[in-house]
Amino acid sequence: MRVLPWIYLTAAFVFIYLPVGALVLFSFQGGGLPVPPFDGPSLRWYADILGDEDLVAALLHSLAVAGGSSAVACTLGFLAAYGLARHVMPGSALVRGLLIAPLTVSYLIVGLGLLMVLQRLGLPLSLMTAGIGHVVINLPLCFAIIYASMGAQQQNAERAARDLGAREWQVVTLVTVPMLMPALLAAFFLSVTLSWDEFIISFLLTRFDVTLPVEIWSLLRSGLSPRLNAIGSLVFLVSIVAVFLAELLIFRKRP
Amino acid sequence: MKKLTFALLGSTCLAPAAMAQEELNALVWCDHTDPALIEPFEEAHGVKVNLREYEGTGAALALLEQSRPGDWDVLVIDGIDVFRAVDAGLLAEIPADQLPTGDFFPEVVMAENNGADGKTYAVTEKFGYNTISYNSDKVDPADMEDLTKVWSEKYDGRLTIYDYYLPVMGLAAMSAGIDTADISADTLEELGTVLTDMRGRAASVAGVVASQTALATGEVDIVVGGGEWLTAVLAEEQPELTWTIPEQGAVRWAQSIGVLADSEKPDLALEFVKYIVSPEGQARLATSSCFWGMPANAEAGAHLSDAQKAVLRWDDQPDYLARTQLYPAPDIDLDIEMQDLWLETLSQ
Amino acid sequence: MIARDTLKGWGFVAPALLWTLAFFVVPFVVMGAMSLATLEGRTLVWGFSLANYAELAQKAYLWRAVLVSLEITLTVTVLSILLAYPLAWIIAFRVPPRWQRLALLLAILPFWTSYVVRSYAWLLVLSREGVVNKALMTLGLIAEPITLANTRIATVTGFVHFFVMLLTLTIFANLIQLSPNYRRAAMDLGANAFQTFRHVILPLTLPGIVTGAFLTFVLCIGDYITPQILGGNNELTVPQVIMVQLGRRADFPLASALAIVLMGLVTLAYLGCARWLRLDRI
Repeated sequence: MRVLPWIYLTAAFVFIYLPVGALVLFSFQGGGLPVPPFDGPSLRWYADILGDEDLVAALLHSLAVAGGSSAVACTLGFLAAYGLARHVMPGSALVRGLLIAPLTVSYLIVGLGLLMVLQRLGLPLSLMTAGIGHVVINLPLCFAIIYASMGAQQQNAERAARDLGAREWQVVTLVTVPMLMPALLAAFFLSVTLSWDEFIISFLLTRFDVTLPVEIWSLLRSGLSPRLNAIGSLVFLVSIVAVFLAELLIFRKRP
Repeated sequence: MKKLTFALLGSTCLAPAAMAQEELNALVWCDHTDPALIEPFEEAHGVKVNLREYEGTGAALALLEQSRPGDWDVLVIDGIDVFRAVDAGLLAEIPADQLPTGDFFPEVVMAENNGADGKTYAVTEKFGYNTISYNSDKVDPADMEDLTKVWSEKYDGRLTIYDYYLPVMGLAAMSAGIDTADISADTLEELGTVLTDMRGRAASVAGVVASQTALATGEVDIVVGGGEWLTAVLAEEQPELTWTIPEQGAVRWAQSIGVLADSEKPDLALEFVKYIVSPEGQARLATSSCFWGMPANAEAGAHLSDAQKAVLRWDDQPDYLARTQLYPAPDIDLDIEMQDLWLETLSQ
Repeated sequence: MIARDTLKGWGFVAPALLWTLAFFVVPFVVMGAMSLATLEGRTLVWGFSLANYAELAQKAYLWRAVLVSLEITLTVTVLSILLAYPLAWIIAFRVPPRWQRLALLLAILPFWTSYVVRSYAWLLVLSREGVVNKALMTLGLIAEPITLANTRIATVTGFVHFFVMLLTLTIFANLIQLSPNYRRAAMDLGANAFQTFRHVILPLTLPGIVTGAFLTFVLCIGDYITPQILGGNNELTVPQVIMVQLGRRADFPLASALAIVLMGLVTLAYLGCARWLRLDRI
């Protein structure tokens, strides 16, 4: 009985790492097809993708959209959470419900709806419109995370600051924000992660400049190639470095 | 607040676009995104070509109709759908005398498809076939010469169907002795029967990569609707993966390129079209990294290596062209019926 | 004074509220209106027509897509919970505390491979010459390779992989918040391990499970990539049918009607588990 949990744990990890393992292994494929038998290791596909300007551009676009939209989502989410938690507002339950609502809607519907509005208005599609869509889907999460962590502890500190003559904006920037930093960062990173990997909204709402998942999608339609494995592995590598850095630098500090 | 947000998003996203260089906006198929094709033109004219891929003529037409003048300059479109763009008033007339159609394979000039009322609106740039791709080690190549044997009991569960209704329904029609041009509401029932048979034998209905994966890993041995554009990448490593045009013939696809009526740079756009149909541009387009296909301009042969020509089966073209028929080109109502029949058969 | 405080509050909430109204509520209303419009030839005609919904009921491939989406989503949700719960449990209560964070991080790390690429990787793993078939044959469970790729099994596998990671995270967060005293108290009162789980732990973690399950439902039923890459189009899901309508004919009215139906399913799921949902406390 004692070993059963460990067997389960091992099996679960095998399942979780199966596709990643295959992906990484065949990214070192020597030949032109990422199917068995393995004939590597070779770095030719990494050289190939790093020399691909479109891919590198898409990667930068993804970073810009993820960073930009997450910053906006966090800012809006924080302000709304502060307003709702610290001020007496009629109908606050309704407002909260409305802010959370996009969470219950599929990304495809958010993208499709925005696409139709933009087309009606004759507005051009761009990375910006994709970014707007990402804010829509990430705002509820940011708001929920930040709102949940607004406790009495900060409220007391805020009250003390106010009693000492601080104005509201000083209270917000000098007391509330620093105290909520862990929640803000958690919201920001979750938001970046989701935006970074989001496909359908970016696919529907971009024009010439596209994000990485959209670029990968068009590569996927152009044919089977270990390039895809190399891109996937590289993205994975970069992401885990970022995750471990975030873990070490930010979240470890929390008691 | 919102202003700040826009400024924030804008400054991060739009920085690269700030360069004051003339730009050409093209709505294209993925084979046009190969830098080897586009860069020579950009350098020669000192311009930047912005490319957006699309799937499905309907999506492209909707996008164009809702765009503002100047948004788009060049359009690559399915040869059989040119008339739809012309009817919608989206394409500009282009001067036929400036196009090298005299050097083209005569069957693919398709003046009727590319023009209307004696005016030319588009020009063919590339063509190929939707036919039968197969693994010659696993199936009897002789069987592949007869469409009715391809989806016979012998190959039950060993084929996949390429996921695009027009060419596959064209193949189904030809196997039943119906010309693709004669597909009508009246013949749909017969087509449905063939499709149901085909679907019953198939293991899956798959897009490009999924069908390539299925073929390369032995999941299936035949791709109905495949062709050189599907197997060329695979054949380098697995020469047993090949394709043929059966006795009943196969479906020919052709893509056309034209200038948009709302373009604010019609001259540059025309230059781009002329570059694409020039022998050099044609050779690069034929061997584009996204998919290979025959160039419409026969003069491109001078710029292709023997190995490339062998892959394209250059010398077989006269025979292939004679035995193949164009994609079905349904009007809107028939198109809806065909698509419904297709989706209906798929989901059975 | 209260009025002034309220006004200030609105000032803070306004940006987020306006954003949600402009870019979420308005598009949603437009979509609703669009689903009542019709496409005649290629011209969009606004109106109050139920033609799109009637088409949905008549055409078998459309309503079948709704059933397929529901079946797949429910299967995925149930399987993911059944697989994720024990995993979260083991990490929370069996793995020594100092290794817990690492174990959890490892369990969700593949989350950060690109979503599109991950689906494609499953296609390779599940192929006839892929690892799964090789392993099953080595174990002697099957005599020759079975077809897994391009089937519903593949779609479900791809989904479950993703959602097991997500649910492990949310369930773990729930379990770890439980005071060990609950378990001890139950044991002291004579409950065995199963009874403790059934009557103490499960009810306490139910809100977390239901919230995770609901998110799984929402994300799964609206996903286009996984069934498109892995499913082999043997059957179509609602998002796939929506994309087909957009691609060939740009039929926004029918696509909108399908999206509204999708929304309806999510609403039903929401109502079904509203009792336990804690969406504002994720």
